[in-house]
Formats: sequence, structure tokens, C-alpha cells
Amino acid sequence: MTSNYRSWPMILALGVVTIPLVLMYVYLFVDTVTNTAPGSVVPHEFTGEHWRFLWETLPGRPSIYVATLNTFVFATATTLIVLAISSTAGYAISRLNVPFRAFFLAGVMVLHAFPTVTLIIAIFLILQFIGLYNTLIGVILVKAALELPFGIWIMKGFYDTVPWEIEMAGIQDGASRLTVWRKLVLPQVMPAVMALGIFSFLAGWSEFILPLVLAPDNKVQVLSVYLAALIADDNNFDMALFKSVGVFYVVPVIIMFLFFQGKLMSIYGGGTKG
Amino acid sequence: MLRARPDGEVMSGSRILGLLLLAPAFVFVVLFFLAPVVLTAVFALTNMSTATGITGGAYQVTQSGMRELAERHGEQALADALARVRYTVDRTGIDAASVEGASTALVSELDRRLAGQSFDSRRELERAIKKLDNRPRGTRALKSLSALFERSIVNTRFATEEEFFDAVAGLGIELDATQRAALLATTYTGWTWTGENFSRMFSLPDTRRTFLNTIIYVFATLIVFNTGFALVLSIVTHYMPDRPAGIFRAIWLLPRISPPVLYVLLWKWLAWDTGFLSRILVPLGFESRNWMLDNPTNAWVFIVLINGFVGASMGMLIFSAAIRSIPVSLFYASEVDGANRWQQVRYVILPQLRWPILFITCYQSLSLLTSFEYILLATEGGPGGATKVWALAAYLTALNNYAGNLEYGYGAALALVLVLVGVILSLAYLRLFDFKSLVAPPPIEQ
Repeated sequence: MTSNYRSWPMILALGVVTIPLVLMYVYLFVDTVTNTAPGSVVPHEFTGEHWRFLWETLPGRPSIYVATLNTFVFATATTLIVLAISSTAGYAISRLNVPFRAFFLAGVMVLHAFPTVTLIIAIFLILQFIGLYNTLIGVILVKAALELPFGIWIMKGFYDTVPWEIEMAGIQDGASRLTVWRKLVLPQVMPAVMALGIFSFLAGWSEFILPLVLAPDNKVQVLSVYLAALIADDNNFDMALFKSVGVFYVVPVIIMFLFFQGKLMSIYGGGTKG
Repeated sequence: MLRARPDGEVMSGSRILGLLLLAPAFVFVVLFFLAPVVLTAVFALTNMSTATGITGGAYQVTQSGMRELAERHGEQALADALARVRYTVDRTGIDAASVEGASTALVSELDRRLAGQSFDSRRELERAIKKLDNRPRGTRALKSLSALFERSIVNTRFATEEEFFDAVAGLGIELDATQRAALLATTYTGWTWTGENFSRMFSLPDTRRTFLNTIIYVFATLIVFNTGFALVLSIVTHYMPDRPAGIFRAIWLLPRISPPVLYVLLWKWLAWDTGFLSRILVPLGFESRNWMLDNPTNAWVFIVLINGFVGASMGMLIFSAAIRSIPVSLFYASEVDGANRWQQVRYVILPQLRWPILFITCYQSLSLLTSFEYILLATEGGPGGATKVWALAAYLTALNNYAGNLEYGYGAALALVLVLVGVILSLAYLRLFDFKSLVAPPPIEQ
């Protein structure tokens, strides 16, 4: 817009700062299909051996497909719970004359700002008490619960933007508040529900600490824990293998991001990472 | 007409519906937020650990327990008496003897003449047995018989207090009230209530260091990247044509959308001793080494970079949106007045970003304070605890350490400090960012 100023010095300066990031991500993909001689930075041959984890199970690890299925179940179940509960609770807080409404809203806001990772020790002990330690169900419930304040907060914000006239009209025509919500308001916030769904799925897919602490067993292991265990094993150091597993793990994320970039931006602005 | 029904007359439809819609969220929040917060406080007042278990314990006389009984409670004699091995001819022993194949005559004679007697050593018992008419033939038979009467409560677990005291009474030891209390304290294997976690936290030099680490970590990352570099990113991309600006923003979002495990792997690849940095620096005369874990300074640089590259993107998104909402006419007007680019940034853009900057600072200080995921993956607090921050210390103490004894109680005490700071800060931020405007009463009352 401000064409009085030249833009190339800016592009150059930022380009220099951005180089490490670009290098890391370019080499992430390059190293998975090539071999590089020690001491060199240029690959000298193509190879498929780094992807061997796809057709053989690595020693001491669960099958990659078991881990992938676990991750998928974990992310999907978390998303469904978050969507179901935040789309209802968000509406109640945004639009209905609930007793203690201000109290609920303040609670959600505090919890939204409150970093949940501090609770992990108590949650670990609770799951041990009730016998859900090392189960997918346990870690799904916990992850969903920790995402909820954020989900409710986002949904409340989107419900706030729906014009009251829509609900007024529905009620004039004799519909109940429940019907108005289901038939008139929910379709209005469908894009937000989609965005929240994609966000929750990606958050579940990337989650590391919760499954690490609450469900570390081989049978219920998710990809993040699988990859971290692979890297932590000092006896089998193979950077190219780690990167290949990493690419396998991150590709769904990148695809979803490319498809839904616009939707996600509305949510990342309220980000949850440090 | 929509406001026809006055407030508070009957529970109205929208209220019931609202409560129904809120109920599931409420249950989840109570189970996984309120309960953990309360329990963190409760656990912080216990000495719970892997050794004590989490459900409860038993009573067991152990060597260390007896040492404590003698030293802390001054009950040397009692400790010796409890630790001593005795030989008692009792029902259990006699039954065992008959099962082991002792003759009926011997069994009945044992029952008749020695039942109830206690001996301080095996030799005394054996001497008594030898005097019996039906004594076993041969030393081996005698040894195996006397072994059946060996009685000691050392390392035996008693599930309840009563069972334990019965066993002690069975040894012929009389206890007064203070001795009973001292004995319970030194033999209970389960967790107990204690305030020691906090006194320990305040006295350990380690705590001070962790505290300072946390301060460095939060402020360095926050100032350099989460607000500083985020501002640079948003202002610089603002002065670019749309295409390169979009590309730069997308690249800087990569760290945020990448799963943490993978993202930190990329940094390890950069810093590893056979990694990228070494490969390009070795030909220039540097030694090959692990650049991340080589020394504390390097470790800190990497920790701040790793967290900062992720943190910068949130500020970038919010600041960019704020800059976009500045009326274009302001930029034109400043240019007509001859402002250079720096003056435009200083007097047009920055004043408009005051609130977003404040928001990012508040929000991210809280996230940084409690985040330890990236540090755990990158350095695990190393080298030598140099990058151990408070949240990581709590995690390592309670859930993952090399010693193997996980101290849930002490870890919870460390976490409790974070919980309190978190709640206080988030309440303070709520006041700052005007809560009332968000809860305007709904215009439909039904």
C-alpha cells in the first residue's frame, strides 16, 4: 500500500533471518529419501531405506500402523467430545439467561488463560486411582477436558457474532429456544464449528505430554510418543529414520493446514502454545 | 413482549435449557480441573512417592525404620527387641512340624512340654528339644525342626494396626502410648501428611536456581521473540507486497503447526555433533560438538530460539491483524507530512498496537511460565540442570527421574506454586482486559 518505500531491503533482511527455518524444513524432506556422506551437506544418492519402518516393525517398538491408528482414534475422539460440549456450552453462555452466567463465563476465561499442564501430576494420580491409566479412554477424556475451556471460549465468541434478529424471528414464529439453536443458530456458526474441529484434531494429533505421562504403553502409544521414544533410544541413532517417521507423522498436519488455512487463522489468533 | 415474564418468578425455559446445555461441560470441568487443582494442594501436603504407593500402606518393621526409632524417638531398647529374632514354640510351628513329617509322639510332646515357650537363640531351643523323649534323630532333622519356630516380625507386612500390635504383643513386648505412636510413625509404609515438602522447597539451593532459570526463560523468550520479533515480523511484512508477505507468514507459522516432537528433532539435527552446524563449521576450523548441550550458554540460546520461533507466530498474527485495521489514510497522511519509514512505525503503527502488545505479553508470560514441553524434548533441563525451569522440575520430580523413586508429593508441591501463580495472574489479566463488556445480559428473556 505504501509504495513510497522500497520493499526489497525488507524482503532481504527478513529472508536472512528466515534461512535457518527454511533449511530445517527443506532438509527434513530431502534427508528422508537420500543419503549424505559424512561431513557433507549435499546428498549423493537416492534411497528408500529410511522408510523401512513402513514394512517392518522396528525392534522394541509397536507397529507404526498401530501407533497411527491410536493417534487417529485419540485425535478424532477428542475432537468429537470438544465439539459436542463446546457448541452447547458456548451457546448457553453466549445467549441464554443461565443462573450464574457471569460466574461460568469468568470460570471459562480463567481456565482458558490457565495453563493446564500444571495439573498433570494430579491427573496422573487420579487416573491411577480410577484405573484409566495406560488406556486411550483415559487420555482422551483428559485431553478433551483440557481443550474445553478454549473451545467454549471460541464458540462463545462466534455465537456472539450471530445477529439476535435471527433468534427473535424464530421465537416470534413460535419455535422454542432449543429449536432456534438447532435449526437457526447452529447453521450460522457451522464454519466456526469446522474450524474448531480441525484445530482440535491437529492439537490431538500433535499432543505429546499427556499420552507420554498417561498412556505410555506400546499398545496405546501414539505417534508423538513413538517418535520421541525412537529418538531417545541412544543405541539406535539414525537421524534419517527419525526424520522419515517425522514426515510420516507430520504430512496429515500439513495437508490439513494447506486445505483449511483460512479457517484455522481465525483460531490460531487465540493460540494455546507458548 | 419478549420481556413479558419478570425475572426470578419461575425457572424459565431458557434457564433450564441453559443449565442442560452447560451440564456436560460442567462435569468435565469439575472432574479434570477443579478436582486436579484441589488434589494438587492435597498431594502437596503428603510424602507420596513410588515407595509409599498411592492407595495406602501397611506396617512393616524395617532396618531403616528401627534406626529412626532409636535415633529420633530414643527407643533403642524397643528397636533392638523388635529387630531380634526369636524362637517360639507356638501353634503354627507345631502344626508345621506335623506337616513336615515329625512323628505324632514328638508333636504331642512339643505341644505338652514346650508350647508357649520362647527362646532367645536357636541353640537354646535346640537344647530344649534335645531333652525331649521323642527328640528327632540326627542334626539335620533337629535343624529343620528348630527352623520352623523361628519368629521375627522384621520385613513382615501387616495390613492393619491391630494385626501389627497383636504380632508385637506376640513377641512379648509391652508398649506404652508414646511407644505405640513412635512405632506407628516408623513402621508405616504408606504415605502420610507432612509439611516438609515446603520447608524442603525453601531450603534447597536447587530451588533458587530453578526459580532464576524460570525468570530468565520467561523474560528472554517473551521480550526477544514473543513480542519483539513478532513486532518485527508483522511490521516488516506490512511493508511488503502481498505475495512475499504471505510466504513469510506461512514459513513462520510452520513451527506452530509442527508437532513439538518433530519440531525439536529439526533443531537437534541442526545442533547435533554430526549435524548441520558442525558440518558447515568444521571446514572453517571449529571443532565438531553438540552445539545445544555443549555448555549452559549455548543450551539457553537454543531453548530461547526453540520456544521463541514458536511463540513469535502468535504475536505476528495478532499484530498483523491490528496493523491491517489501522485506516490507510493515516499512512498516506504521514507520508504527505514527510515521515520516513521509522517515523511511520514509531508514530502511526506502534501507538495502535499498545493493547495487542499488552495482551500478548500477559497471555504468553503465563503460557511460558508453565510450558516445559520443548525444554523436555530439547535438553531435558541439561546440561547439569542449567535449563531446568520450574514446570520441568515439577514434572521431573513427580513423573520422570533417573533415581526411579517418583516423588509425587514434592512434585505436587512444586506444581502447586505454579497453579497459584497461574490463577492469580489470570485473574489479574481478566481485570485488565475488561470483563464486564463480555457479559452483557441477553436481550431475549423467555
